Amino acid sequence: MVLRKHEIEAALATEAQAISSGRLKEDNPLDLSDDFRVFCEACRRNDLKLCQEMISKGVNVNARDRYDYTPLILASLCGHFEVIQLLLENGALCERDTFQGERCLYNALNDRIRNLLLSYDYSKSSSPLQPLAAHITSLLTRPTPKTSDITLATYDQDFNLHKFILTARSPYFAKKLAAAPDISSFKLPHSVPAQSLAVALQYLYFQEVSLRTATFGLSDEEELIVLNGIDKISRTLEIPRLFENITEVSDRRLLRQLRTEELERGRDQLDSWFQENVVKHKMVVDSDKVDNVQWDRDNSIYADILLRADEESDEYELNRSNEYTIASGVSTPRASTIRNTLGPLNGIPVGPMKSRSPSRHRGLRKSILYPAHRAMLLRSEYFFTMFASSFKEAQETPHLQIVTLDCSPAVLETMLTFMYTEHADFGLDVAIDVLFAADQLFIEKLKQRAAMIISTLGNGSTSTVESENPRGETDPDEVIDIYEVLRAGWDTRVQRLEEFAARYMAQRLEHFIDDPEFATIVKESAKRVKERQETDTVELVDDIRYYLSERFRLRFEDSGLDEMMDEALQENNEVPLEAMEKLGLGEKDVPDIEAQLAAGAVRTLDGEIAGDEFAQDAINYQILLGKIDKLLEDLNLDA
Amino acid sequence: MIAGRGRQRIKPPRRGLHGGTDIDFEDTWGTIASAFREIHTKNASRLSYEELYRHAYKIVLKKKGDELYKRVSEFEHDWLRNEVRGSIQALFSPSLLANTQSLGGKTTNERRVAGEKFLKGLKQAWGDHQVCMSMLADVLMYMDRVYCQDQRVPSIYTAAMVLFRDDILNSPTSDDDGRVVLGLLNHVILNQIQMERDGEVIDKHLIKSCVYMLESLYDDEMEAEEQRLYTMSFEQAYLDTSRDFYRKEAEDQLRESDAGSYCRKARRRIYEEEERCKSTLLESTAPKIQKVVEDELIKSRIRELVDMDSGVRFMIDNDRLDELNLIFDLNARVDDKKAELTRALQKRIVDMGTDINDAAITASQAPAAAPASEAGDKGKAPVQEKSQNQQTVAAIKWVEDVLQLKDKFDTIWKVSFDEDQPLQTALTRSFADFINSTTFPRSSEYISLFIDENMKKGIKGKTETEVDLVLDKAIILLRYIQDKDLFERYYKKHLCRRLLMNKSISNDVEKHMISKMKIELGNNFTTKLESMFKDMTISEELTAGFKKHVAGLGEKDPKRIELAISVLTSMTWPLETMGSGDEEESKRQQCNFPPAIDRIKRGFEKFYNEKHSGRKLTWLAHMGSADLKATFPKVPQKDGTFKERRHDLNVPTYSMVILLLFNEVPAGTRLTFEEIQAETNIPHNDLVRNLQSLAVAPKTRILVKEPMTKDVKATDRFSFNEGFQGKTIKIKVGLVAAGNKVENDRERRETEKKNDDSRAFCIEAAVVRIMKQRKELSHQQLVIETLNQLVAQFKPEVPMIKKRIESLIEREYLERIEDTKVDSYRYLA
Repeated sequence: MVLRKHEIEAALATEAQAISSGRLKEDNPLDLSDDFRVFCEACRRNDLKLCQEMISKGVNVNARDRYDYTPLILASLCGHFEVIQLLLENGALCERDTFQGERCLYNALNDRIRNLLLSYDYSKSSSPLQPLAAHITSLLTRPTPKTSDITLATYDQDFNLHKFILTARSPYFAKKLAAAPDISSFKLPHSVPAQSLAVALQYLYFQEVSLRTATFGLSDEEELIVLNGIDKISRTLEIPRLFENITEVSDRRLLRQLRTEELERGRDQLDSWFQENVVKHKMVVDSDKVDNVQWDRDNSIYADILLRADEESDEYELNRSNEYTIASGVSTPRASTIRNTLGPLNGIPVGPMKSRSPSRHRGLRKSILYPAHRAMLLRSEYFFTMFASSFKEAQETPHLQIVTLDCSPAVLETMLTFMYTEHADFGLDVAIDVLFAADQLFIEKLKQRAAMIISTLGNGSTSTVESENPRGETDPDEVIDIYEVLRAGWDTRVQRLEEFAARYMAQRLEHFIDDPEFATIVKESAKRVKERQETDTVELVDDIRYYLSERFRLRFEDSGLDEMMDEALQENNEVPLEAMEKLGLGEKDVPDIEAQLAAGAVRTLDGEIAGDEFAQDAINYQILLGKIDKLLEDLNLDA
Repeated sequence: MIAGRGRQRIKPPRRGLHGGTDIDFEDTWGTIASAFREIHTKNASRLSYEELYRHAYKIVLKKKGDELYKRVSEFEHDWLRNEVRGSIQALFSPSLLANTQSLGGKTTNERRVAGEKFLKGLKQAWGDHQVCMSMLADVLMYMDRVYCQDQRVPSIYTAAMVLFRDDILNSPTSDDDGRVVLGLLNHVILNQIQMERDGEVIDKHLIKSCVYMLESLYDDEMEAEEQRLYTMSFEQAYLDTSRDFYRKEAEDQLRESDAGSYCRKARRRIYEEEERCKSTLLESTAPKIQKVVEDELIKSRIRELVDMDSGVRFMIDNDRLDELNLIFDLNARVDDKKAELTRALQKRIVDMGTDINDAAITASQAPAAAPASEAGDKGKAPVQEKSQNQQTVAAIKWVEDVLQLKDKFDTIWKVSFDEDQPLQTALTRSFADFINSTTFPRSSEYISLFIDENMKKGIKGKTETEVDLVLDKAIILLRYIQDKDLFERYYKKHLCRRLLMNKSISNDVEKHMISKMKIELGNNFTTKLESMFKDMTISEELTAGFKKHVAGLGEKDPKRIELAISVLTSMTWPLETMGSGDEEESKRQQCNFPPAIDRIKRGFEKFYNEKHSGRKLTWLAHMGSADLKATFPKVPQKDGTFKERRHDLNVPTYSMVILLLFNEVPAGTRLTFEEIQAETNIPHNDLVRNLQSLAVAPKTRILVKEPMTKDVKATDRFSFNEGFQGKTIKIKVGLVAAGNKVENDRERRETEKKNDDSRAFCIEAAVVRIMKQRKELSHQQLVIETLNQLVAQFKPEVPMIKKRIESLIEREYLERIEDTKVDSYRYLA
C-alpha cells in the first residue's frame, strides 16, 4: 500500500498532535548529548565496539540527532550489517507504517539489511523482555515441577502463586508477606470475583491481558461485577496502573509502547527486588563448611534453593569485602551430625570435591551461596530437568538444598541476574566463563549474549575488525587469546565466534601465520572437519581466506580502484613466485619488517619496496595467500 | 559489570573446568555407572543430579562423547540381558507356552490368568525401563544435545528403547526354545481379545499399556512411522486372526439367523471393534480393523444378505423399517453407491410396479373380454359401456396403487435410508422404469384419466388442501412419465370434453392444475391448454354479445331460439378426437339444420364475421347439445293415466335435428333410417349413435324403433313415441360413449399414430433448430443433441429421427457432406 504525500503528511501531523497531547510517547526523542553524538558517529563508521560500549552506557538507541537521523537509519544507510544487528538486538525499533521505520527500510543499503530490518518488525518479533515475561506468565499455569509457595483461594478457584513475584510486584503483598512470611495459603473474601483476581494476577505475572478477553461472553451485569472487582483489587494491591494496562487500545504503536513500558517497569521492580534480596543475601562460607549451612524453607526472601559457586583462591581476597553475615533463619552449625541428611551418601564417590580444587587443602578457599527461586531457575533447561526429575535435588527437604555450580561466583551472579531480570551486562573478563556456563546450563540467550560481547569487544583498541586494520597492524598489549576464543566457539558451537576468530586472524595474519600455535589450531580445525564429514576443506582456512580477501579487496572497492588493483596484480605478476621462494626467509624477516613498517616505509611483507600503498596491498595479499598454502602443505592438508 | 573501554582482557576459561587437568575417564565412568545401578534399583532419590550431570558434561566436553555413549549402551545392554530377561522368562508358565501350539486342554480362565500374569510382568519391566531411561537421559542431557546431535546418532533414550526391543522382546522365550518373547506377546494379546469377543471380561488397561509399548518401539533403526513394532508385528496378526474369525462368524450367522438379526449383529461387531481400538488397542488400527470387519461381514456377504429369504424383499413387504435402516447403514459402509441395496430395491419396485400394471391390464380386460368380439360391431351395447367404465376404474386403481407404492417407498426412504440422495435417484428411476415399461403403454392415459375423474367427481366436497393433495399426487406421477407429449394429447382431449360438456366441477381447480403442470413441465406444455381456457372465456363473451345483438334486432320472437356457442381455435383443440371422430374429419358433411336453427346459425355467422373478418367458422354439430321443450300428447299410459306431459329434453345437437324432423311430419309417421339420413345429412356413425340413444336406451326412448332390436340398421323405421313417460321433468339424453373412457385398442393406435405424426414435426423442428445454429454436424452428434432437446417432451426413437433427417434432406433443408469419415450434414439456408 502506498500512501499519497498528503496522506503521509496528515498521518505525521496526527502523530505529532498525539505526541504533544501526551497520548503517544515519542518513539524517537531528540538527543543532543555528546554520548549520543559519539554513538551515531560509531554507527556511521561501523565501530561495533564503541556501539556496544555506548549501549551499555545506557544511550537511548531510539533517539534521533539534530538531523532527524536515528542510529539505526545511519547504520542501515551505511550498510553495516553487524551494527544493525546489534542495535536491533538491543531494542532499536524499526516498525512499518511509522515515519522513521519506513525511512530505515527505504534507506537500507541492500536487501540483506532490509530483510534483517523486516524480521525485527514489532508485529512479528517482540520486545527483548518478552522471553522473561513469557516465562513468568507460564509460571501461573505450569504444573510441574511445583514451584508455587502460596495459594490464593477465591470461592470457586485457587491460584498457585509465588511469594517473591507477588512481593516484587505489589507493595500490598510485600507488606502482607513481610508480616507473615510463612503463610502458605490465603483466603480471599467471597466478594472478590475470581475473574477479576485472575486479571490482576495475569497482570502481575506479565501477561498481556485485555479487558475484552477477560470479560468475553459475560453479560453486562457480570461484566460490571468483574470490572468493579478489578478496580477494588487494583486499589488494594496498590497496582494503580492495572486498569490503564488492560484497557483495550486499538493503536498498535500505542499498545506496543504501553506494553514495553510496562514490561520495563515490571522488570525494574524484579531487578531491584533481586538486588535487594537475592544478591544481598549471598553468603560467603569456607568451602569445607558449606555442607553445614542450613536455611529454613520459610525464609524472608522465599528462596527455595541455594546455589553454590566456589571461588578461585586468587579471587578470594577481592571478594572478601562483600562478605555478608547471614541473618534471617540461617544457621551455620558446625556439628557434623547433620551431614548425614544433606551430604552425599556413602557408597557414591563424590566427584567434584576431588577434582576441583588443588587449593582446597589450604583451607582458605571460600564458597559463595546464593539463595534462589526454582521458579526463575526453570528458565534454564538444566534446572528444569533437575527439578522435574526424581533425583536428590528435586526432593522436599526440611532445609534448602545446596546445588553446586561449576563456575565462579561472578559468573553465577551474572547468570542469576540474567534469569531474573534479562540483564546481561558483564565484562570481557568473565565472558568466556559465562559462555561455557550458559552452554552447560542451556541458557541459549545468555550464551549468544556472551558470544556477542566477545566478538564485538574482543579486538582491543583498534575499533573494528574488518575495515580499520587493512595493514595488519597489531597492538601487542591488547592481544587476546584468540585461540582460546576459537576453541570456546567450537566447544560451545557458536558460529559467531568461529567467524569472529577467523576475521580477527585474517586481519592480523602476518602476526599469526608463523606462530606454531596457529598451525596447531589449523590442524585442530582440519580434524574437526574430518569428524563431521569427509570433505577436503579446512573451515578455518577457508574463513580466513575469505576475510583476507575482504580485508584487501574492500579497500580497493572503497576507493573505486578495482582496475588499479588488477593493474597492480599484473605488474607484480612475478611477485608471488618470488615471495614463495623467499618464504623460508620470511620468518626471520618478520621483526625486521615490523621495524620497517614502524618506520613508515612502504614495503611489502617480503621486504621489497613497493611503488605505492595499493601495490603494496596487492603484493601483501598474494604473499599471505602463499604462506597459507605453504602452511597447509607442511601440515599435509589438502585445501 | 559494565565493561570499561579497552582495558579488559579476555581471560581463558577456568582451568578446573576446561583444558588443564585431564579428568580420568574410567574414574568418572565408574561414578556414573554405579549411579546408574542405583537408578535401576530405584534408589535415585539420593543421587545428586548436579554431580552426575557435571561428570557427563565434562566427558563430553573432553570429546569423549562417543566413548560415553558406547559405555552407556553397553551398560544398558548388560543390565537388560542379565537382570531383566531372567525375570521375564520366569513369567512363562508352561501352560502359556503350551498354548501357543494348541488351544485345547486348558480352561479359558486359566489361560487368561496366565496371560495376564505375563502381560503384567512385561508391562512392569517396560515401565521400569522407561522411567530409568528417562532419568539417564536427564543426566546425559548434554551428551544428547551436543554429541548425539553432532554425530547424528539417536539420543540415548531412543537407543535404550532399541536395546529393550533387542534384548527383551526379541530374546527367546527360554534357552532351548526358538520362539521369541514378542511372538508370545502377540499371541497372548490376541488370545485375550478372542476371549473378549467370546464374552469374557479382560483387563483392557493392561493390554493397552503393552500395546503402547509396541507402539513406541520400531522395527528398524530408521524409526519410520510405518515401521512401528505395533504395526509391523502385532497389527497384521491381529487383522489376520480377526479376518478369519469374522469370516467364520459371517458364515455361521448367515446360516443360522435371519437378515435382520445378522445386520444387528454385524453392527454390534463393528461398534465393538471400534470400542476395542479405543480402549484396548490403538485408534490408528480402527480404520483397518473396521475394513476387515466390513469386508468379511458386509462386503463379501451383502449379496447373500440382500437376497436372503428374510432379506430386503421381506423387509420391504413387511415394513421392517429399522432393519432396512440397518442394511442401508451396513451397505453404505462398504459401498458409497450402495449398489446391492439399490439393486434389490429397484428390482422390488419394478416387480411390484409390474404387478400393478398387470393387475390394471387384467382388470381392464377381464370383463371386456366378452364383448371384445362385438366391439367391432356398430352397436354400442351397454355391456361395453360398462366394460369401459371398468377400464376407468382400473385406471384409477392403477394410479392409486402406484401412488401407494410411491408412498411406501418414500416412507422407507425417509425413515430407513437417511434420505440418501443416490437412492432417491434410483427409486425415481425404477418408478419411471415400470411406469414407462413397454409392456404397459397406458400410463399417460391412465394418469390423465385419473385427473379427469377427479375433476369430474373426485374433488367434490373436498377442501382446498385435500384437492391440492390429489393434484400433487398426479403431478408426482407425471414426473415419471417419459412421453409427456402423449400425456398432453390425452389431457387435452379429456380437458376438452370437460370444458365443452361442462363436466368440470371447478374451473379454479382446473386452472390450478394447469399452473402446477406449468411449474413441473414448463411453459411450452401448457400454452395450448391455457388457450383452451381462453377460448372458453371468449366464447362466453360472444354468446352474451350475440344475445344482446339479437335482442337489439327487433320485437321479441316468442319462438326465438337461444344460442350458446363455443368458438374453438381449431389448432388448439383436439377436435378430431371428439365423439366418433374416426373418419375423414376434415370432410365431415355439414348436417342440414332445420330452418329455424339454420336461421340463427346464419345470424351468428354474420355477427361473428362483423367482429372478426377473415375467419371461417366450421360448425361441429356433433359436439353440441340442445334443450328442447317436448309435449307428449294425451295418450293412455300403461298406468292408466291420461294426460298431456311436458318434458324438458336435453339432447345432443344431432338428436335435436332428428327430433325436430318428427315435428314436421304428421303424428305417427314412420321414417326409415335412410330417410332420416337423407333429410338431415348427419354422418352415418353419428346418426346411428344418436338413434340408439333416442330409440334404444330404455329411459330415453323418445322414438320407437321397428323392429325393436338393439342394433340400428339402415332399414329400421322410427316413429315418435307418443306414449313416452319420463320420471322427471328434465330428461337428459346421453350420447352413447360420450364419457371419457379408456380407449379401445383401435382408438389407441389412432392416438399413437397421431402422436407419432406430431412427434415427427417436433423432431424436424428440433433438427432444424440445431442445424441452423451449428451449420455442420456429424450424424451421431445431431442425434444426441436432438435427444437432449426433446427429452422434456418425450423420448424419440432413433430410427424415427433418422427418418426425419432423411425427409429433411429430401426437402433440401439439409445435405450430406461428402468425403467425411463420419456421416455429417450441412444446413442449407
